[in-house]
Amino acid sequence: MGKLSILIALLAEAVGAIKAFIPSVLYEPPSKFKVGKPDDFPEGITFLSGRRLYIFRTGNDFRAVSAICTHLYCVVDWRPDQNEFYCSCHGSRFSQEGINISGPAPKPLPWYQLSLAPDGSLNVDSKEAVKQDYKFSI
Amino acid sequence: MEKLKRIWRSLIWAWSPKSNREASESVIRNFWLHWFPSRISLRSMSWGYSLWLGVFAACLFAILALTGLLLLFFYIPSVQSAYWSIKDIENVVVFGSLLRAQHRWAAHLMVAVVFLHMVRVFFTAAYRGQRVWNWYIGIVLFIVTLFLSFSGYLLPWDQLSYWALTIGTAIASSIPLLGRSIRFLLVGGNILGQNSLLRFYALHNFFLPAGLLFLFALHMWRIRKDGGLASMDNLIHETKSKEIPVSPSKTYSLLGVTEGTTIQVATTEVLDESNSAHASPGLVRRIALVFLLTTIITLALALIFPSPLEEPANPAVTPIPAKAPWYFLWLQELIAITTIKIGTFSISGGLIGGILIPAFLILLAAVWPFLDKSPADAVGVWFHRSRRRQNVIFTLICLAVIILIIIGVYLRGPYWNFYWPWQDWPEMPTLF
Repeated sequence: MGKLSILIALLAEAVGAIKAFIPSVLYEPPSKFKVGKPDDFPEGITFLSGRRLYIFRTGNDFRAVSAICTHLYCVVDWRPDQNEFYCSCHGSRFSQEGINISGPAPKPLPWYQLSLAPDGSLNVDSKEAVKQDYKFSI
Repeated sequence: MEKLKRIWRSLIWAWSPKSNREASESVIRNFWLHWFPSRISLRSMSWGYSLWLGVFAACLFAILALTGLLLLFFYIPSVQSAYWSIKDIENVVVFGSLLRAQHRWAAHLMVAVVFLHMVRVFFTAAYRGQRVWNWYIGIVLFIVTLFLSFSGYLLPWDQLSYWALTIGTAIASSIPLLGRSIRFLLVGGNILGQNSLLRFYALHNFFLPAGLLFLFALHMWRIRKDGGLASMDNLIHETKSKEIPVSPSKTYSLLGVTEGTTIQVATTEVLDESNSAHASPGLVRRIALVFLLTTIITLALALIFPSPLEEPANPAVTPIPAKAPWYFLWLQELIAITTIKIGTFSISGGLIGGILIPAFLILLAAVWPFLDKSPADAVGVWFHRSRRRQNVIFTLICLAVIILIIIGVYLRGPYWNFYWPWQDWPEMPTLF
Protein backbone atom coordinates (compact mmCIF):
# COMPACT_ATOMS: atom_id res chain seq x y z
CA MET A 1 0.00 0.00 0.00
CA GLY A 2 2.80 2.37 0.97
CA LYS A 3 4.65 1.88 -2.32
CA LEU A 4 1.44 2.25 -4.31
CA SER A 5 0.46 5.52 -2.68
CA ILE A 6 3.94 6.95 -3.27
CA LEU A 7 3.67 5.88 -6.90
CA ILE A 8 0.23 7.48 -7.26
CA ALA A 9 1.48 10.69 -5.65
CA LEU A 10 4.51 10.83 -7.98
CA LEU A 11 2.33 10.13 -10.99
CA ALA A 12 -0.08 12.89 -10.01
CA GLU A 13 2.86 15.28 -9.66
CA ALA A 14 4.16 14.27 -13.06
CA VAL A 15 0.76 14.87 -14.66
CA GLY A 16 0.63 18.25 -12.93
CA ALA A 17 4.08 19.13 -14.23
CA ILE A 18 3.10 18.22 -17.78
CA LYS A 19 -0.14 20.19 -17.39
CA ALA A 20 1.92 23.28 -16.60
CA PHE A 21 3.55 23.01 -20.01
CA ILE A 22 0.22 23.17 -21.84
CA PRO A 23 -0.43 26.91 -22.13
CA SER A 24 -3.79 27.97 -20.66
CA VAL A 25 -3.79 31.20 -22.61
CA LEU A 26 -2.43 31.62 -26.12
CA TYR A 27 -1.19 35.09 -27.02
CA GLU A 28 -1.61 34.36 -30.69
CA PRO A 29 -3.46 36.13 -33.49
CA PRO A 30 -7.07 34.92 -33.85
CA SER A 31 -7.88 32.25 -36.41
CA LYS A 32 -10.64 34.48 -37.83
CA PHE A 33 -9.37 37.85 -38.98
CA LYS A 34 -10.01 40.80 -41.29
CA VAL A 35 -7.68 41.22 -44.26
CA GLY A 36 -8.94 44.54 -45.59
CA LYS A 37 -11.60 45.92 -47.90
CA PRO A 38 -12.28 43.87 -51.05
CA ASP A 39 -11.33 46.84 -53.17
CA ASP A 40 -7.86 46.89 -51.57
CA PHE A 41 -7.06 43.77 -53.53
CA PRO A 42 -5.95 44.11 -57.13
CA GLU A 43 -7.01 41.64 -59.77
CA GLY A 44 -4.87 38.50 -59.50
CA ILE A 45 -2.93 37.16 -56.55
CA THR A 46 -1.88 39.05 -53.42
CA PHE A 47 0.42 37.67 -50.72
CA LEU A 48 -0.40 38.68 -47.15
CA SER A 49 2.95 38.08 -45.49
CA GLY A 50 1.78 38.65 -41.92
CA ARG A 51 -1.00 36.09 -42.33
CA ARG A 52 0.92 33.71 -44.60
CA LEU A 53 -2.03 33.74 -46.95
CA TYR A 54 -2.68 34.27 -50.66
CA ILE A 55 -5.81 36.12 -51.75
CA PHE A 56 -7.05 35.42 -55.29
CA ARG A 57 -9.29 37.95 -56.98
CA THR A 58 -11.05 37.40 -60.29
CA GLY A 59 -13.54 40.17 -60.88
CA ASN A 60 -15.79 40.08 -57.85
CA ASP A 61 -14.80 36.56 -56.83
CA PHE A 62 -12.44 36.13 -53.89
CA ARG A 63 -10.60 33.06 -52.66
CA ALA A 64 -8.06 32.58 -49.86
CA VAL A 65 -5.43 29.83 -49.78
CA SER A 66 -2.91 29.05 -47.05
CA ALA A 67 0.73 29.73 -47.90
CA ILE A 68 1.97 27.09 -45.45
CA CYS A 69 3.33 23.99 -47.14
CA THR A 70 1.58 20.80 -46.03
CA HIS A 71 4.90 18.96 -45.87
CA LEU A 72 6.81 20.69 -43.07
CA TYR A 73 5.19 24.13 -42.74
CA CYS A 74 7.54 26.32 -44.80
CA VAL A 75 6.07 29.27 -46.71
CA VAL A 76 5.34 28.58 -50.39
CA ASP A 77 6.18 31.18 -53.04
CA TRP A 78 3.83 32.06 -55.88
CA ARG A 79 5.73 31.89 -59.15
CA PRO A 80 3.76 33.88 -61.75
CA ASP A 81 6.05 32.66 -64.54
CA GLN A 82 5.15 29.04 -63.76
CA ASN A 83 1.62 29.60 -62.40
CA GLU A 84 2.58 27.37 -59.48
CA PHE A 85 3.41 27.56 -55.78
CA TYR A 86 6.96 26.49 -54.94
CA CYS A 87 8.16 25.45 -51.49
CA SER A 88 11.73 26.53 -50.82
CA CYS A 89 12.48 23.99 -48.11
CA HIS A 90 12.06 20.68 -49.89
CA GLY A 91 10.86 21.58 -53.37
CA SER A 92 7.15 20.75 -53.19
CA ARG A 93 5.07 22.28 -55.97
CA PHE A 94 1.37 23.12 -55.95
CA SER A 95 -0.90 24.06 -58.84
CA GLN A 96 -2.88 27.27 -58.92
CA GLU A 97 -5.70 25.26 -57.33
CA GLY A 98 -3.37 24.41 -54.43
CA ILE A 99 -3.08 20.78 -55.45
CA ASN A 100 0.25 19.14 -54.65
CA ILE A 101 1.69 18.16 -58.01
CA SER A 102 5.27 17.22 -57.19
CA GLY A 103 7.74 17.04 -54.34
CA PRO A 104 7.22 15.66 -50.86
CA ALA A 105 4.02 17.54 -49.90
CA PRO A 106 1.43 14.93 -48.91
CA LYS A 107 -1.73 17.08 -49.17
CA PRO A 108 -3.11 20.07 -51.12
CA LEU A 109 -2.91 23.57 -49.63
CA PRO A 110 -6.08 24.32 -47.64
CA TRP A 111 -8.57 26.97 -48.88
CA TYR A 112 -10.34 29.09 -46.28
CA GLN A 113 -13.85 30.38 -45.86
CA LEU A 114 -14.41 34.05 -46.58
CA SER A 115 -17.16 36.35 -45.38
CA LEU A 116 -17.95 40.04 -45.23
CA ALA A 117 -17.62 41.80 -41.89
CA PRO A 118 -20.25 44.45 -40.95
CA ASP A 119 -17.73 47.21 -41.75
CA GLY A 120 -17.31 45.86 -45.27
CA SER A 121 -13.94 44.15 -44.74
CA LEU A 122 -13.13 40.70 -45.99
CA ASN A 123 -13.04 38.12 -43.17
CA VAL A 124 -10.92 34.97 -43.38
CA ASP A 125 -11.66 32.01 -41.14
CA SER A 126 -8.53 29.84 -41.10
CA LYS A 127 -10.29 27.21 -38.97
CA GLU A 128 -12.85 26.63 -41.74
CA ALA A 129 -11.36 24.77 -44.68
CA VAL A 130 -13.43 24.77 -47.85
CA LYS A 131 -13.39 22.94 -51.18
CA GLN A 132 -10.97 23.98 -53.94
CA ASP A 133 -13.74 25.38 -56.15
CA TYR A 134 -15.06 27.62 -53.36
CA LYS A 135 -15.57 31.24 -54.38
CA PHE A 136 -16.79 34.16 -52.34
CA SER A 137 -18.60 36.67 -54.54
CA ILE A 138 -19.62 40.19 -53.65
CA MET B 1 51.98 30.15 -1.20
CA GLU B 2 53.58 27.02 0.24
CA LYS B 3 50.95 27.01 2.96
CA LEU B 4 48.09 27.36 0.48
CA LYS B 5 49.57 24.48 -1.47
CA ARG B 6 49.65 22.36 1.65
CA ILE B 7 46.01 23.21 2.50
CA TRP B 8 44.91 22.35 -1.04
CA ARG B 9 46.90 19.12 -0.87
CA SER B 10 45.36 18.01 2.38
CA LEU B 11 41.92 18.82 0.95
CA ILE B 12 42.17 16.60 -2.11
CA TRP B 13 44.61 13.95 -0.80
CA ALA B 14 43.87 11.69 2.16
CA TRP B 15 47.56 10.90 2.23
CA SER B 16 50.59 12.47 0.67
CA PRO B 17 52.46 10.31 -1.88
CA LYS B 18 56.27 10.37 -1.99
CA SER B 19 56.70 9.18 -5.58
CA ASN B 20 54.82 8.71 -8.83
CA ARG B 21 54.54 5.04 -8.10
CA GLU B 22 53.06 5.67 -4.69
CA ALA B 23 50.70 8.19 -6.21
CA SER B 24 49.55 5.86 -8.94
CA GLU B 25 48.89 3.08 -6.47
CA SER B 26 46.73 5.36 -4.47
CA VAL B 27 44.69 6.98 -7.19
CA ILE B 28 41.58 5.90 -5.35
CA ARG B 29 42.54 8.26 -2.55
CA ASN B 30 42.42 11.30 -4.82
CA PHE B 31 39.20 13.00 -5.77
CA TRP B 32 40.25 13.79 -9.33
CA LEU B 33 41.90 10.47 -10.04
CA HIS B 34 39.67 7.95 -8.33
CA TRP B 35 37.94 7.09 -11.60
CA PHE B 36 41.22 5.96 -13.15
CA PRO B 37 42.72 2.51 -12.67
CA SER B 38 46.11 2.46 -10.99
CA ARG B 39 47.73 0.82 -14.02
CA ILE B 40 46.66 1.10 -17.62
CA SER B 41 47.73 -1.07 -20.53
CA LEU B 42 49.89 0.55 -23.17
CA ARG B 43 47.47 -0.76 -25.77
CA SER B 44 44.53 1.13 -24.22
CA MET B 45 46.63 4.25 -24.00
CA SER B 46 48.02 4.10 -27.54
CA TRP B 47 46.91 6.78 -30.02
CA GLY B 48 46.24 4.17 -32.66
CA TYR B 49 43.73 1.97 -30.84
CA SER B 50 41.05 4.37 -29.58
CA LEU B 51 42.27 7.42 -31.56
CA TRP B 52 41.35 9.10 -28.24
CA LEU B 53 38.02 10.10 -29.74
CA GLY B 54 36.07 9.65 -26.51
CA VAL B 55 38.46 11.88 -24.58
CA PHE B 56 38.37 14.33 -27.49
CA ALA B 57 34.55 14.43 -27.27
CA ALA B 58 34.68 14.92 -23.49
CA CYS B 59 37.18 17.77 -23.90
CA LEU B 60 34.91 19.38 -26.49
CA PHE B 61 32.03 19.14 -24.04
CA ALA B 62 34.17 20.79 -21.36
CA ILE B 63 34.97 23.65 -23.76
CA LEU B 64 31.29 23.91 -24.72
CA ALA B 65 30.29 24.06 -21.05
CA LEU B 66 32.88 26.74 -20.27
CA THR B 67 32.16 28.96 -23.28
CA GLY B 68 28.42 28.33 -22.87
CA LEU B 69 28.45 29.42 -19.24
CA LEU B 70 30.13 32.66 -20.30
CA LEU B 71 27.65 33.22 -23.14
CA LEU B 72 24.84 32.89 -20.59
CA PHE B 73 25.80 36.30 -19.27
CA PHE B 74 25.25 38.01 -22.62
CA TYR B 75 22.40 36.16 -24.28
CA ILE B 76 18.77 37.24 -23.70
CA PRO B 77 16.19 34.49 -24.32
CA SER B 78 13.42 36.72 -25.64
CA VAL B 79 11.97 36.82 -29.12
CA GLN B 80 12.51 40.59 -29.28
CA SER B 81 16.05 40.66 -27.88
CA ALA B 82 17.66 37.32 -28.69
CA TYR B 83 18.86 38.28 -32.16
CA TRP B 84 20.16 41.66 -31.02
CA SER B 85 21.93 40.16 -28.01
CA ILE B 86 23.77 37.85 -30.42
CA LYS B 87 24.64 40.92 -32.50
CA ASP B 88 26.02 42.48 -29.32
CA ILE B 89 28.02 39.34 -28.55
CA GLU B 90 29.44 39.53 -32.07
CA ASN B 91 30.18 43.25 -32.21
CA VAL B 92 30.12 44.81 -28.75
CA VAL B 93 31.21 42.29 -26.13
CA VAL B 94 35.02 42.18 -25.92
CA PHE B 95 36.14 38.82 -27.36
CA GLY B 96 32.43 37.96 -27.67
CA SER B 97 32.67 36.86 -31.28
CA LEU B 98 35.60 34.59 -30.40
CA LEU B 99 33.62 33.10 -27.53
CA ARG B 100 30.64 32.41 -29.76
CA ALA B 101 32.79 31.07 -32.59
CA GLN B 102 34.63 28.70 -30.24
CA HIS B 103 31.33 27.49 -28.81
CA ARG B 104 29.98 26.93 -32.31
CA TRP B 105 33.09 25.14 -33.58
CA ALA B 106 33.27 22.91 -30.53
CA ALA B 107 29.61 22.00 -31.12
CA HIS B 108 30.19 21.12 -34.78
CA LEU B 109 33.28 19.11 -33.90
CA MET B 110 31.52 17.32 -31.05
CA VAL B 111 28.85 15.93 -33.39
CA ALA B 112 31.57 14.68 -35.75
CA VAL B 113 33.82 13.30 -33.01
CA VAL B 114 31.04 11.48 -31.15
CA PHE B 115 29.98 9.91 -34.45
CA LEU B 116 33.58 8.88 -35.26
CA HIS B 117 33.93 7.51 -31.72
CA MET B 118 30.94 5.24 -32.38
CA VAL B 119 32.47 4.18 -35.69
CA ARG B 120 35.69 3.28 -33.86
CA VAL B 121 33.76 1.26 -31.27
CA PHE B 122 32.01 -0.58 -34.08
CA PHE B 123 35.15 -1.43 -36.06
CA THR B 124 36.89 -2.72 -32.91
CA ALA B 125 33.81 -4.74 -31.83
CA ALA B 126 34.02 -2.97 -28.48
CA TYR B 127 30.27 -3.35 -27.88
CA ARG B 128 30.33 -7.06 -27.08
CA GLY B 129 29.36 -8.78 -23.86
CA GLN B 130 28.53 -6.56 -20.94
CA ARG B 131 30.02 -3.60 -22.83
CA VAL B 132 26.73 -3.50 -24.73
CA TRP B 133 25.39 -1.27 -21.95
CA ASN B 134 28.05 1.30 -22.63
CA TRP B 135 27.19 1.05 -26.35
CA TYR B 136 23.58 1.89 -25.44
CA ILE B 137 24.62 4.78 -23.20
CA GLY B 138 26.79 5.92 -26.11
CA ILE B 139 23.85 5.86 -28.52
CA VAL B 140 21.81 8.00 -26.11
CA LEU B 141 24.79 10.35 -25.66
CA PHE B 142 24.97 10.77 -29.44
CA ILE B 143 21.26 11.60 -29.63
CA VAL B 144 21.58 14.07 -26.73
CA THR B 145 24.54 15.65 -28.56
CA LEU B 146 22.37 16.13 -31.66
CA PHE B 147 19.52 17.63 -29.64
CA LEU B 148 22.00 19.96 -27.93
CA SER B 149 23.23 21.14 -31.34
CA PHE B 150 19.68 21.57 -32.61
CA SER B 151 18.49 23.51 -29.55
CA GLY B 152 21.70 25.55 -29.69
CA TYR B 153 21.28 26.95 -33.16
CA LEU B 154 17.66 27.88 -32.40
CA LEU B 155 18.72 30.41 -29.80
CA PRO B 156 19.94 33.29 -32.06
CA TRP B 157 16.35 33.50 -33.41
CA ASP B 158 17.56 34.30 -36.89
CA GLN B 159 16.18 32.84 -40.11
CA LEU B 160 18.16 29.61 -39.64
CA SER B 161 16.73 29.21 -36.12
CA TYR B 162 13.18 30.02 -37.05
CA TRP B 163 12.90 27.70 -40.04
CA ALA B 164 14.85 24.89 -38.36
CA LEU B 165 12.38 25.07 -35.49
CA THR B 166 9.47 25.21 -37.95
CA ILE B 167 10.66 22.10 -39.75
CA GLY B 168 11.80 20.30 -36.59
CA THR B 169 8.48 20.71 -34.83
CA ALA B 170 6.58 19.91 -38.05
CA ILE B 171 8.44 16.59 -38.17
CA ALA B 172 7.23 15.93 -34.61
CA SER B 173 3.67 16.71 -35.67
CA SER B 174 3.83 14.12 -38.45
CA ILE B 175 3.82 11.34 -35.83
CA PRO B 176 0.43 9.60 -36.10
CA LEU B 177 -2.14 10.36 -33.36
CA LEU B 178 0.18 12.04 -30.82
CA GLY B 179 2.06 14.27 -33.27
CA ARG B 180 -0.05 17.41 -32.98
CA SER B 181 -0.04 17.31 -29.18
CA ILE B 182 3.74 16.81 -29.13
CA ARG B 183 4.20 19.80 -31.42
CA PHE B 184 1.84 21.90 -29.29
CA LEU B 185 3.85 20.96 -26.20
CA LEU B 186 7.24 21.67 -27.84
CA VAL B 187 6.14 24.96 -29.37
CA GLY B 188 4.06 26.01 -26.37
CA GLY B 189 1.20 27.03 -28.66
CA ASN B 190 0.29 26.81 -32.32
CA ILE B 191 2.69 29.47 -33.57
CA LEU B 192 6.43 29.66 -32.86
CA GLY B 193 7.11 32.40 -30.36
CA GLN B 194 8.32 33.29 -26.90
CA ASN B 195 7.17 29.99 -25.36
CA SER B 196 9.10 27.98 -27.95
CA LEU B 197 12.30 29.95 -27.53
CA LEU B 198 12.17 29.72 -23.74
CA ARG B 199 11.48 26.00 -23.83
CA PHE B 200 14.44 25.23 -26.03
CA TYR B 201 16.58 27.66 -24.03
CA ALA B 202 15.82 25.74 -20.83
CA LEU B 203 16.52 22.43 -22.59
CA HIS B 204 19.77 23.68 -24.09
CA ASN B 205 21.14 25.26 -20.94
CA PHE B 206 20.10 22.86 -18.27
CA PHE B 207 18.21 19.68 -19.03
CA LEU B 208 20.22 18.39 -21.99
CA PRO B 209 23.70 19.20 -20.60
CA ALA B 210 22.72 17.85 -17.17
CA GLY B 211 21.48 14.66 -18.79
CA LEU B 212 24.63 14.44 -20.87
CA LEU B 213 26.82 14.92 -17.79
CA PHE B 214 24.97 12.21 -15.90
CA LEU B 215 25.25 9.76 -18.80
CA PHE B 216 28.91 10.70 -19.24
CA ALA B 217 29.57 9.78 -15.60
CA LEU B 218 27.75 6.48 -16.11
CA HIS B 219 29.75 5.91 -19.33
CA MET B 220 33.07 6.38 -17.48
CA TRP B 221 31.99 4.25 -14.54
CA ARG B 222 30.99 1.44 -16.86
CA ILE B 223 34.36 1.51 -18.64
CA ARG B 224 36.00 0.75 -15.30
CA LYS B 225 33.45 -1.89 -14.34
CA ASP B 226 33.75 -3.56 -17.74
CA GLY B 227 37.50 -3.92 -17.24
CA GLY B 228 38.79 -0.95 -19.21
CA LEU B 229 38.78 -0.47 -22.96
CA ALA B 230 37.96 -3.48 -25.13
CA SER B 231 41.64 -3.77 -26.10
CA MET B 232 42.12 -5.12 -22.55
CA ASP B 233 39.94 -8.13 -23.41
CA ASN B 234 42.25 -8.83 -26.27
CA LEU B 235 45.31 -8.58 -24.04
CA ILE B 236 43.73 -10.91 -21.48
CA HIS B 237 42.78 -13.26 -24.30
CA GLU B 238 46.36 -13.35 -25.57
CA THR B 239 47.95 -13.81 -22.15
CA LYS B 240 45.45 -16.47 -21.10
CA SER B 241 47.38 -18.99 -23.13
CA LYS B 242 50.40 -18.36 -20.90
CA GLU B 243 50.52 -19.38 -17.26
CA ILE B 244 50.14 -16.30 -15.06
CA PRO B 245 51.24 -16.65 -11.44
CA VAL B 246 48.46 -15.83 -9.00
CA SER B 247 49.30 -12.70 -7.07
CA PRO B 248 49.04 -13.15 -3.33
CA SER B 249 48.25 -9.50 -2.74
CA LYS B 250 45.06 -9.44 -4.81
CA THR B 251 41.57 -9.77 -3.42
CA TYR B 252 39.69 -12.37 -5.34
CA SER B 253 36.30 -11.63 -3.92
CA LEU B 254 34.65 -8.57 -2.62
CA LEU B 255 34.97 -9.09 1.17
CA GLY B 256 33.81 -12.64 0.57
CA VAL B 257 30.44 -11.45 -0.66
CA THR B 258 30.96 -12.43 -4.27
CA GLU B 259 32.55 -15.52 -5.70
CA GLY B 260 34.97 -16.02 -8.55
CA THR B 261 37.42 -13.61 -10.13
CA THR B 262 36.21 -10.15 -11.02
CA ILE B 263 37.20 -8.56 -14.30
CA GLN B 264 39.30 -6.04 -12.38
CA VAL B 265 41.37 -8.83 -10.86
CA ALA B 266 41.76 -10.49 -14.24
CA THR B 267 42.93 -7.14 -15.55
CA THR B 268 45.50 -6.56 -12.83
CA GLU B 269 46.79 -10.10 -13.27
CA VAL B 270 47.90 -9.58 -16.86
CA LEU B 271 49.25 -6.04 -16.48
CA ASP B 272 52.94 -5.86 -15.71
CA GLU B 273 55.87 -3.53 -16.35
CA SER B 274 56.21 -4.68 -19.96
CA ASN B 275 52.68 -3.98 -21.17
CA SER B 276 51.35 -1.20 -18.94
CA ALA B 277 52.09 2.12 -17.28
CA HIS B 278 50.94 3.97 -14.18
CA ALA B 279 47.74 5.87 -14.86
CA SER B 280 49.24 8.77 -12.97
CA PRO B 281 51.11 10.41 -14.56
CA GLY B 282 50.90 8.52 -17.91
CA LEU B 283 47.17 8.71 -18.58
CA VAL B 284 46.70 12.04 -16.82
CA ARG B 285 49.41 13.62 -18.93
CA ARG B 286 47.88 12.39 -22.18
CA ILE B 287 44.41 13.58 -21.24
CA ALA B 288 45.87 17.00 -20.48
CA LEU B 289 47.58 16.89 -23.87
CA VAL B 290 44.32 16.05 -25.67
CA PHE B 291 42.54 18.83 -23.80
CA LEU B 292 45.21 21.31 -24.87
CA LEU B 293 45.00 20.07 -28.43
CA THR B 294 41.20 20.40 -28.45
CA THR B 295 41.46 23.93 -27.10
CA ILE B 296 44.01 24.88 -29.74
CA ILE B 297 41.98 23.39 -32.60
CA THR B 298 38.69 25.04 -31.56
CA LEU B 299 40.42 28.36 -30.89
CA ALA B 300 42.24 28.29 -34.21
CA LEU B 301 39.05 27.47 -36.11
CA ALA B 302 37.21 30.20 -34.19
CA LEU B 303 39.89 32.73 -35.08
CA ILE B 304 39.89 31.85 -38.77
CA PHE B 305 36.16 31.27 -39.33
CA PRO B 306 33.77 33.59 -37.48
CA SER B 307 30.18 32.47 -36.82
CA PRO B 308 27.53 33.35 -39.36
CA LEU B 309 24.27 35.02 -38.40
CA GLU B 310 21.35 35.26 -40.82
CA GLU B 311 18.61 37.90 -40.98
CA PRO B 312 16.30 38.21 -37.96
CA ALA B 313 13.56 35.56 -37.86
CA ASN B 314 10.86 36.40 -40.40
CA PRO B 315 7.77 34.16 -40.32
CA ALA B 316 6.65 35.44 -43.73
CA VAL B 317 9.76 34.54 -45.71
CA THR B 318 11.39 31.15 -45.92
CA PRO B 319 15.01 31.44 -47.10
CA ILE B 320 15.61 29.95 -50.56
CA PRO B 321 16.99 27.37 -50.03
CA ALA B 322 16.55 26.78 -46.28
CA LYS B 323 19.33 24.41 -45.30
CA ALA B 324 19.99 22.78 -41.93
CA PRO B 325 23.57 22.46 -40.62
CA TRP B 326 25.53 19.66 -42.29
CA TYR B 327 24.85 17.01 -39.66
CA PHE B 328 21.10 17.24 -40.28
CA LEU B 329 21.24 17.59 -44.06
CA TRP B 330 21.04 13.83 -44.64
CA LEU B 331 17.75 13.92 -42.72
CA GLN B 332 16.59 16.96 -44.68
CA GLU B 333 17.45 15.09 -47.89
CA LEU B 334 15.51 12.07 -46.63
CA ILE B 335 12.39 14.04 -45.62
CA ALA B 336 12.44 15.69 -49.04
CA ILE B 337 12.45 12.42 -50.97
CA THR B 338 10.58 9.85 -48.88
CA THR B 339 6.95 10.97 -49.17
CA ILE B 340 4.94 7.99 -50.35
CA LYS B 341 1.80 8.55 -52.43
CA ILE B 342 -0.60 5.82 -53.43
CA GLY B 343 -3.61 7.40 -55.09
CA THR B 344 -5.04 9.92 -52.66
CA PHE B 345 -3.41 8.21 -49.69
CA SER B 346 -0.03 9.59 -48.71
CA ILE B 347 2.52 9.37 -45.92
CA SER B 348 4.57 12.51 -45.33
CA GLY B 349 8.33 12.36 -45.74
CA GLY B 350 8.43 14.05 -42.35
CA LEU B 351 7.27 10.80 -40.77
CA ILE B 352 9.31 8.41 -42.92
CA GLY B 353 12.57 10.33 -43.34
CA GLY B 354 12.33 12.38 -40.15
CA ILE B 355 11.22 9.75 -37.68
CA LEU B 356 10.93 6.18 -39.00
CA ILE B 357 14.31 5.92 -40.75
CA PRO B 358 16.31 7.47 -37.86
CA ALA B 359 14.36 5.27 -35.41
CA PHE B 360 15.17 2.23 -37.53
CA LEU B 361 18.89 3.14 -37.57
CA ILE B 362 18.90 3.53 -33.77
CA LEU B 363 17.13 0.19 -33.40
CA LEU B 364 19.62 -1.42 -35.77
CA ALA B 365 22.52 -0.06 -33.69
CA ALA B 366 20.82 -1.45 -30.59
CA VAL B 367 20.34 -5.00 -31.87
CA TRP B 368 23.60 -5.22 -33.83
CA PRO B 369 25.73 -6.45 -30.87
CA PHE B 370 23.43 -9.46 -30.66
CA LEU B 371 23.62 -10.18 -34.38
CA ASP B 372 27.41 -10.03 -34.26
CA LYS B 373 28.49 -13.68 -33.90
CA SER B 374 32.25 -13.14 -34.37
CA PRO B 375 34.62 -15.04 -32.03
CA ALA B 376 35.78 -13.56 -28.71
CA ASP B 377 39.25 -12.72 -30.03
CA ALA B 378 37.66 -10.19 -32.44
CA VAL B 379 36.92 -7.90 -29.50
CA GLY B 380 39.29 -4.97 -29.17
CA VAL B 381 40.93 -5.42 -32.58
CA TRP B 382 40.50 -3.12 -35.57
CA PHE B 383 38.87 -4.77 -38.62
CA HIS B 384 39.07 -8.36 -37.36
CA ARG B 385 38.93 -10.87 -40.23
CA SER B 386 35.82 -12.61 -38.91
CA ARG B 387 33.86 -9.33 -39.03
CA ARG B 388 34.62 -8.40 -42.62
CA ARG B 389 31.06 -8.76 -43.90
CA GLN B 390 29.41 -6.72 -41.13
CA ASN B 391 32.14 -4.08 -41.39
CA VAL B 392 31.28 -3.71 -45.08
CA ILE B 393 27.55 -3.36 -44.34
CA PHE B 394 28.21 -0.83 -41.59
CA THR B 395 30.57 1.15 -43.85
CA LEU B 396 27.93 1.21 -46.58
CA ILE B 397 25.31 2.60 -44.17
CA CYS B 398 27.75 5.29 -43.00
CA LEU B 399 28.68 6.07 -46.60
CA ALA B 400 25.02 6.44 -47.56
CA VAL B 401 24.57 9.01 -44.79
CA ILE B 402 27.76 10.83 -45.84
CA ILE B 403 26.70 10.87 -49.52
CA LEU B 404 23.29 12.29 -48.56
CA ILE B 405 25.08 14.96 -46.51
CA ILE B 406 27.33 15.83 -49.48
CA ILE B 407 24.30 16.05 -51.80
CA GLY B 408 22.55 18.29 -49.27
CA VAL B 409 25.52 20.58 -48.71
CA TYR B 410 26.86 20.96 -52.25
CA LEU B 411 24.26 19.82 -54.77
CA ARG B 412 20.98 21.31 -53.57
CA GLY B 413 19.92 24.78 -54.61
CA PRO B 414 16.74 26.87 -54.65
CA TYR B 415 13.54 24.84 -54.10
CA TRP B 416 15.74 21.86 -53.25
CA ASN B 417 16.51 21.38 -56.94
CA PHE B 418 19.62 19.51 -57.94
CA TYR B 419 22.55 21.63 -59.16
CA TRP B 420 26.12 20.60 -59.91
CA PRO B 421 28.69 22.75 -58.10
CA TRP B 422 29.71 24.36 -61.42
CA GLN B 423 26.11 25.25 -62.34
CA ASP B 424 24.86 28.69 -61.37
CA TRP B 425 21.77 28.99 -59.24
CA PRO B 426 18.95 30.99 -60.86
CA GLU B 427 18.31 34.52 -59.69
CA MET B 428 15.80 34.43 -56.82
CA PRO B 429 13.35 37.20 -55.93
CA THR B 430 14.14 38.68 -52.53
CA LEU B 431 11.25 39.69 -50.33
CA PHE B 432 13.29 41.62 -47.77
